[in-house]
Amino acid sequence: MLLPLLVRQSLCCPHVQLTRCVRTLRCDAARTLRSQTEHFLQRRLPLRSHTQSRGIKSRNRKSKSQEEDWKNKNKTVLTYIAAAGVGMIGLSYAAVPLYRLYCQASGLGGMAVAGHDAEQVETMEPVKERVIKITFNADRHASMQWNFRPQQTEIFVVPGETALAFYRARNPTDKAITGISTYNVVPFDAGQYFNKIQCFCFEEQRLNPHEEVDMPVFFYIDPEFDEDPRMARVDTITLSYTFFEAKEGQKLPVPGYSYN
Amino acid sequence: MSTAMNFGSKSFRPRAPDKGSFPLDHFGECKAFKETFMKCLRENSFDNSKCRLQSKDYLQCRMDNQLMTKEPLEKLGFKDLVDPPPSQADGDTKP
Repeated sequence: MLLPLLVRQSLCCPHVQLTRCVRTLRCDAARTLRSQTEHFLQRRLPLRSHTQSRGIKSRNRKSKSQEEDWKNKNKTVLTYIAAAGVGMIGLSYAAVPLYRLYCQASGLGGMAVAGHDAEQVETMEPVKERVIKITFNADRHASMQWNFRPQQTEIFVVPGETALAFYRARNPTDKAITGISTYNVVPFDAGQYFNKIQCFCFEEQRLNPHEEVDMPVFFYIDPEFDEDPRMARVDTITLSYTFFEAKEGQKLPVPGYSYN
Repeated sequence: MSTAMNFGSKSFRPRAPDKGSFPLDHFGECKAFKETFMKCLRENSFDNSKCRLQSKDYLQCRMDNQLMTKEPLEKLGFKDLVDPPPSQADGDTKP
């Protein structure tokens, strides 16, 4: 755009005008150049300082942000781990009632069965083909002075039929003795089919001096015993009762010693 | 007992009886019935199925003398004995 002006001016007033124009041109150019370089420098300077500061600052900022990032990440990971730990502890506490509920619902474990036995006794049918011999065993603790023995060595029952058996206990001493008993069934797997309706175990039984009593056990074998393949070869079940002395504040004696 | 060191198999867990514990017969009120029952067992080579009538009588005696909570005999598995049965025990149950 300047050119046509310059050409006109040069045409009109050649020398001075030309120099003036050239000067202005130069000045202009210089000015523009200068402004441009200034502009450039300004742009560059902050750039440079920016990169430098970014270099230092940015390196600082980078490391800082990285550190912050890492810190944040660590914090979140730690929070997750802590939450998982607390969750596991809570789950282990909650597992006890949950497992009990599950056992009651599914009937597994034998300990938590509730209520099904009463109706079963009424409606069960004896499996007459399967005869099982029940042998009886009586034990007592070494310091227990009762005489305790079964009144029959064995009895033949069939699953699904209620049976009665007797033990006899005698107190030969001159003082009343209270005993408490527990029982055991061998083989262990058959024990889950051995249902006692009523017996004399787990409760304190008091015998006066020189007293003799009959202790009955009323039980039945679950009819499902016949259907269990694991029980196919089981023909003998042994019921074993053990009596212990029950006394307030008793110090358990060393096995093998007995007082008289 | 359950102290066998086989952790794989289930160990025995004693269970409480369904109806609790029999009160002790201190006065021998049902001793006669028990003797009848034991006599029956000895005569029948300890076959429980043949002596169910006697066991029913013993439990009835216990209930009458308040040595056992009263319950209908069907609930104790004697429903075939409560109704007049044609025969008390049927089938050969000897091993």
